[in-house]
Amino acid sequence: MLGEFEYMLITVAAGLGENAYGAAIREEFDKGAGRKCSIGALYTTIERLERKGMLRTWMGEATAQRGGRAKRMVRVTPKGMHAAKEFYEAMMRVSRNASWAAGKPERAS
Amino acid sequence: MSPLAEMAAILISPEDRDAVLGDLAEAGAGGWSVLGSLLGLVLRQQMELWREWQPWVAGSMAFAGSLLLLCVSFGLSVDSRQLLRDEGEYGSVVCEALLMLAWAWTSGFMVVSLSGKTRWASCILCAIPCLSCVVRFHDASLPRVCVLLFLVPAVAGAVHAVRRARLSRRTALTLAVAMTALMAVWGGMYQRNWFFFVPAGWLVFHAERSNRPRQEISA
Repeated sequence: MLGEFEYMLITVAAGLGENAYGAAIREEFDKGAGRKCSIGALYTTIERLERKGMLRTWMGEATAQRGGRAKRMVRVTPKGMHAAKEFYEAMMRVSRNASWAAGKPERAS
Repeated sequence: MSPLAEMAAILISPEDRDAVLGDLAEAGAGGWSVLGSLLGLVLRQQMELWREWQPWVAGSMAFAGSLLLLCVSFGLSVDSRQLLRDEGEYGSVVCEALLMLAWAWTSGFMVVSLSGKTRWASCILCAIPCLSCVVRFHDASLPRVCVLLFLVPAVAGAVHAVRRARLSRRTALTLAVAMTALMAVWGGMYQRNWFFFVPAGWLVFHAERSNRPRQEISA
C-alpha cells in the first residue's frame, strides 16, 4: 500500500496531467495540502515510485524561466492509478464512522 | 547560484541535476535555500539507498573481508621473507600470493557491484581495520604496509565493477574453480578461508545474471 506522501504525489501528478513536472507538482502540493514539499522529498519519492512502476519520467523541454534547464516530466502509470485508488478507497472506508467524515458532532473517546 | 551550492550540485546524479536546479530556479529560490535543498536531496537519496539489503551486505563484506585479508597479507609477507632466507617453499608462497590476489579482487568486485552508490561507506568500513592494523603493527623486519598488500587487487576489482565491465560466465566460473583448487593445493581450506567462497559465488551469480537477456531479467 502507498504511503500518505506517495498518494498525494500521485494524485497531484495525475491532476496536472501533461504538465506534471517537479516545480509544478511542488506548487500544486503547496496549494492543495497547505504544506511545503521539499525538493529532497519530491525527487526521492518520484524515484521510488518509478522503481515500483507507478510513475514514468522523462526529460522534457528547457525554458528561459528555468535558466535553460530541462524539466523532468512525470506521468502516472495505470499501476500508480490503481494503487492511488486503492489507498483512497481504504481511507474512505476507515473514515466512514469518524465524526469529521460522517458529519457527526465531535465526541471525546 | 553560490559557489557552495554549485559544489553541492555535483553530488547530485547528472540525470537529476538539470531538473532539480531548473525547479529551484523556477521557484525563485536563491542563496542558502538552494544549498539547503540540494544537501537535503543528497541526504535523502543516500538514506533511501540504505533501505535495501545490498549496502548492508556490501559494507559487512568490506569490513569482514578487509579484516581477513589483512591477516592473509601479513601471512604472505612472513612467508615471502622466509622464502628469501631459503626457509620456505616456493610453490606454497606462489599459491598463497595467487589466492590473495584472487580473494582481494573478487571481494572488491563484489562490494562495488553489489552497491556501487554506497561505495564511500564501504571504503570507510574497509579503512577502519586497515588503519587500526597499520598503527598497531610492530615488526622490525617487515614494513607496516606489508599488511596492506591486498589493497591493490581489491581496488582493481572495485574499479572493474565501477566501469560496469562484464565478466563472461566462463571467466567467472574459471576464477571460482581456480580459487577453490588453489585453496585445496595450498591447504588453505580452513575456517576463515571459507568466507572467500562468498565473493567467488557472487562472481558466478553476477556473471550469470548480467549475461542473461534483458527481458528474462525483468520477467
